[in-house]
Amino acid sequence: MLDAIQFSSFAEFVDMGGYGFNVWSVYALFAIFVAVNLILPLRKKQKIIRQLKRRLTLDAEIQSEDDSNSDQAQ
Amino acid sequence: MWVWFSKLGSPKWFYELSGKWLPWLITAMVIFMTIGLVWGLLFLPPDYQQGFTSRILIVHVAVAGTSLAFFPLMFVAGTITLVWRMKLADMVAKNAAILGAWFSFITLATGSLWGSVMWGTWWEWTDSRLVSMLFQLFLLLGVISLRSALEDSDTAAKACALLSIVGCINVVIIKYSVEWWNTLHQVSSPVNMDASSPNGPEFWIATLIMIVAVYLFLSVSLILSTRNEILERERKSQWVQDLVLKS
Repeated sequence: MLDAIQFSSFAEFVDMGGYGFNVWSVYALFAIFVAVNLILPLRKKQKIIRQLKRRLTLDAEIQSEDDSNSDQAQ
Repeated sequence: MWVWFSKLGSPKWFYELSGKWLPWLITAMVIFMTIGLVWGLLFLPPDYQQGFTSRILIVHVAVAGTSLAFFPLMFVAGTITLVWRMKLADMVAKNAAILGAWFSFITLATGSLWGSVMWGTWWEWTDSRLVSMLFQLFLLLGVISLRSALEDSDTAAKACALLSIVGCINVVIIKYSVEWWNTLHQVSSPVNMDASSPNGPEFWIATLIMIVAVYLFLSVSLILSTRNEILERERKSQWVQDLVLKS
């Protein structure tokens, strides 16, 4: 199977038969495209969860303060 | 069937189900991407005319072909939103427009990088395939800006569904442009079983693997962003709050 590899040296692999710039640009662009559209939504999810969590714990604290204030009033 | 349908429309149900699918979809995506890219970069033999630029085409064809799926998808989602008032379909349509614009842009960019050496030009205004693909990109950018401009989501859904019809007509034009108008862009090569032909199994199976990989990537990315949309729109509901506190 390995002899089906089209190149005998790394320099040849980089050169892509003279079309190195175009071939590698396309594969780099494709890699960026795939990575960005997977990483951004994953990071956004973490951000949403973090913000919601903060809000929920804040709400819970305010709630418990309100409860203790109304206890004192009685 | 109807129980299933209304259940599918429930964001909570979709969130839970897609959470189970995701690991499998991601695994399949990684496998197909790896095979496709290794095959493309190491094993694909040079074309007798194009040399190694044929390696650009397995990426270009996969992304370009898949980019045609977005407007039909948005049209179906838009119809479901308008007819059955399904919130989930609207979320899918919104995120599909953004991803679709990415796909169209990458199609144009990879095509340019191929054309610049094989046609001797980066861009050709008189070519129907190139121009109709550019029109698809602008149409998707239009849908995205329309959505952000119209805060009323019902009006936005209606306007985007209408634009999706235009987009679907354009998809047909993109598909057949190379046959209707004979300009620069070549027609798609017929699949050929003969290994010695220019589009023999070595080439088209590699392309097929890339197409599957790109479709899997589309599904994964769209599911991820739709899940985010669900979390944001349903943040007041009990199940999202439970989920957040558990994490």
